Amino acid sequence: MMGAGLFLSVIFSGDVMASVAANQVFAPWNDPKETPLIEFRGVTKRFGDFTAIDDLSINIYEKEFFALLGPSGCGKTTMMRMLAGFETPTEGEIILAGQDIAPVPPNKRAVNMMFQSYALFPHLSIEDNIAFGLKREGMPKNDIADRVAEMLRLTRLEKFARRKPHQISGGQKQRVALARSLAKAPKLLLLDEPLGALDKKLRQDTQFELMDIQEKTGTTFVIVTHDQEEAMTVASRVAVMDHGKLMQVATPDRLYENPENVYVADFIGDVNLIEGTARKTGEGSYEINWCERTPPLKSTSDTVLSSGQGCTIAIRPEKVSISSEKPEEADNAVQGKIIDIAYLGNLSTYHVKLANGQMVKAQTANTRRISRRSFTWDDDVWLSWTATAGVLLKG
Amino acid sequence: MKYTLLNATAALALTATGALAQEVRVYNWSDYIDEDLLTQFEEETGYDLIYDVFDSNELLETKMLAGGSGYDVVVPSATFLQRQISVGAFQPLDYDMLPNASNLWDDISDRTDQYDPDSEYSVNYMWGTTGIGYNIGKVEEALGEDAPVDSWALVFDPANMAKLAECGVYFLDAPTEMIPAALNYIGEDPDSHDPEVIAKAESVFAGVRPYIQKFHSSEYINALANGDICVAVGWSGDVFQAQYSADEADNGQEIDYSIPVEGAQMWFDQMAIPEDAPNPEGAHAFINFILDAENSAAATNYVWYASGNFAAQQYIDPEILDYPAVYPDEETLANLFTTRPYDARVQRVVTRLWTKIKSGT
Amino acid sequence: MKRLLIAVPYFWLLALFLVPFLIVFKISLSDVALARPPYFPQWQFEEGWSALTDYLRALDFENFWFLSTDDLYWKAYLSSLRIAVVATFFTLLVGFPIAYGMARAPLEWRPTLMMLVILPFWTSFLIRVYAWIGILSGEGYLNQFLMWLGVIQDPLIILNTNVAVYIGIVYTYLPFMILPIYSALEKLDESLLEAAEDLGCSRFTAFWLVTFPLSKQGIIAGCFLVFIPTIGEFVIPSLLGGSSTLMIGKVLWEEFFNNRDWPVASAVAVVLLLILIIPIILFQRNEQKNREAEG
Repeated sequence: MMGAGLFLSVIFSGDVMASVAANQVFAPWNDPKETPLIEFRGVTKRFGDFTAIDDLSINIYEKEFFALLGPSGCGKTTMMRMLAGFETPTEGEIILAGQDIAPVPPNKRAVNMMFQSYALFPHLSIEDNIAFGLKREGMPKNDIADRVAEMLRLTRLEKFARRKPHQISGGQKQRVALARSLAKAPKLLLLDEPLGALDKKLRQDTQFELMDIQEKTGTTFVIVTHDQEEAMTVASRVAVMDHGKLMQVATPDRLYENPENVYVADFIGDVNLIEGTARKTGEGSYEINWCERTPPLKSTSDTVLSSGQGCTIAIRPEKVSISSEKPEEADNAVQGKIIDIAYLGNLSTYHVKLANGQMVKAQTANTRRISRRSFTWDDDVWLSWTATAGVLLKG
Repeated sequence: MKYTLLNATAALALTATGALAQEVRVYNWSDYIDEDLLTQFEEETGYDLIYDVFDSNELLETKMLAGGSGYDVVVPSATFLQRQISVGAFQPLDYDMLPNASNLWDDISDRTDQYDPDSEYSVNYMWGTTGIGYNIGKVEEALGEDAPVDSWALVFDPANMAKLAECGVYFLDAPTEMIPAALNYIGEDPDSHDPEVIAKAESVFAGVRPYIQKFHSSEYINALANGDICVAVGWSGDVFQAQYSADEADNGQEIDYSIPVEGAQMWFDQMAIPEDAPNPEGAHAFINFILDAENSAAATNYVWYASGNFAAQQYIDPEILDYPAVYPDEETLANLFTTRPYDARVQRVVTRLWTKIKSGT
Repeated sequence: MKRLLIAVPYFWLLALFLVPFLIVFKISLSDVALARPPYFPQWQFEEGWSALTDYLRALDFENFWFLSTDDLYWKAYLSSLRIAVVATFFTLLVGFPIAYGMARAPLEWRPTLMMLVILPFWTSFLIRVYAWIGILSGEGYLNQFLMWLGVIQDPLIILNTNVAVYIGIVYTYLPFMILPIYSALEKLDESLLEAAEDLGCSRFTAFWLVTFPLSKQGIIAGCFLVFIPTIGEFVIPSLLGGSSTLMIGKVLWEEFFNNRDWPVASAVAVVLLLILIIPIILFQRNEQKNREAEG
């Protein structure tokens, strides 16, 4: 767990330290002088009538831990398989280290993949699995032994070297798969739902371990996952995909705080979405009419909207305050009735129904014991938030 | 009331046994009867006839030696019959039930006496010879007009066989037919049971072995008829069957059969009743039915083998009756030889020799 | 109840293997005789114990000794082994690609393909072997076809040669080879091959290093299922083989039918079984290993 703190700091350093020293921050995507390791240029992939990837462009930089996030069928696995060489783009090109990789077969690419099923060779021992790729390279025997030992050490599998895959646990298999795919020291490592088969506790530990290993080896990781928590935890940047299109590419915090569209806002974390029409009141500030006979909501926004344009306010539940009296000086305050309370231990989420039927969630930290909770079911309460709390999105 | 019940039971019992008794099971060689005779037998006698066929004496013999075959009438060749009699496989015939036995041909019965003295266990069904079937045109093409088609030299002289190999020669895969023929060809006793004499047959086959396309006991019928081969050592009736097929097909192949002048083996297929036959009465009825002059003639007219039935001759097709290859003349008949069954020790020598001749091992 | 269930396969083994084998073995110890049945001595239950000891004393291993005195027998065993090995190899050569194709076929086709493999069993084995005579003979379909193509001028002589025997065996036993290999290949996770390619294998080396070793159990099972019955095969060599095709099945037939020597025939059968027991045990081991690996 020591590693966890370390990596969290690495991951979030982008934001934490941004104001301090921009040149020390790991954010090559912000540096126009950096050349990306991987470039997708207008890539489209069709299977018959079905378009899996739709005119997609994306840059991934060296040493990044890049996550492709989306529901199943969004095209993220197809992207990964194109990188590995198991699929070829129908249109567009994929550049790896300045070279178009379309004509390069999978076995000639400096890319390795960790399969969702791990795809360990059942007839080979753990060490032979790890040595498999090295032997294909024609590496001298001694070097292979050293490299395998190194990989076993890295993944803490020394004790299991001579076992067969069916003789070890799921978590151990996962580490063997990782060790095997890292053994060849690829420029790029692809991880297809690497933690999908593990139970939750083990998954969390392994997430940090993955980050640890990524850091130690300095390899560029591209991970495919449908689990947003996993993506947010491990990745330096996350690409949210839907129906073969890129919805947003950003660091986890930006993705959460500044979703660019309703899809991303809704997909990442918990959110209240309130639809309405915008009216510009000043530079970057708007009033949104969302319900008749109720005052408009105030919101600031970087997104430029014209008056009368349809829009959606996205507000995270933890940014909504709950009180029994109407709060003074709040930018936005609405009244409603508590319909449901979700007790999460450290937090409670209140599901509040407004007069027009709109449900809004508010989250508070449980700083007091439950018996002394201020609100209960069917209480009439006020919900309030500041003009900067929400994000104003088009549509 | 009591009376009726008793009657009913008796009637029931009668039908039960009657149903069993009505079945007659016959085991004969394949393609060896005019099948119209089978339905005719059922109509005349009221028995249900179950007619099965076999194609080798060995198969029949194994059933006879094991016992419990379930057949009422079987038709082994005389040499095999003799051995089977000695192990008690057959029951003596009841001549009171075979009035048609008077139709039998004494000349044939005299010859079968060596296998079954006084026809105690069997009567002759048909008889024939083992000779040479050939394609007239193809043999002439290979060997010229003077081809020795009436001599064993045709198939045992390597000079002739070398020329015939091109058009194809089959031998019977039956050592008890082929080895006596070879011994006869080199002037030895064809019926010798002396292993040293029998061994002499090897050299006869060794000379011609490379020219023999196949050893088989039935395929030669079709092969001759189609013109795939030009010569086959085979059984008279089989060759006639090939001749008939070729005529029917009108394929330009002209087949004939010859009994070599050196002599040929004469064999007899005998009807007999297994010792454990379920229905001896039915068996006698079937034999008696076949011994009927007209029925016997019908069978011969169909399969072209000579009948052991003298009275039948008046009904036999003159074409067959006057064909010396089927009914040999006195001179040829005198030249025919018969063989006796080998005992186990000699049989082993013969089988082993035959394997060596065929496979070289 | 559970014991009863365990007893069933043992009863099966006893009734269908051990008892018949003991009968054959007993006959192999007796002497040929002109009698019904044609061997000696016999013992009837009602003759009692003293007769039994006389009976047992009369049994001996003479027939096995006899088998060693004539080179025919060991030559026939060797020749059968050779034919079985060669035929098994060719069956594998033909069967593996078929099994591979089936396992790689779209899922919805597989039941149909499986059906097609099993379909020939619906016709009598004898008829199917006979059909090959029509195909392979001098004027058969194969020669007609090749001559029509102009590949050959004169008909090939295939029928009545060992080549025809191999063709017959490969054809007849092909399903026994395909099915176990197919079931091994079907279980093979496609991602293993992708992983192998990803780690630097060409398609061919991936096949050789992954597909082949993982289908090994199926290959071994298939080979035994073909090899074991082929050694004793009688019908195929007698219908398609030539006079010089030497196989122990034919020798057995001749001992039994031509020589009427049931004791020697039984001895041949017992020795054949002893020869087969080695591959049968190996096969069982392989199966067990298979189950353990899966378990």
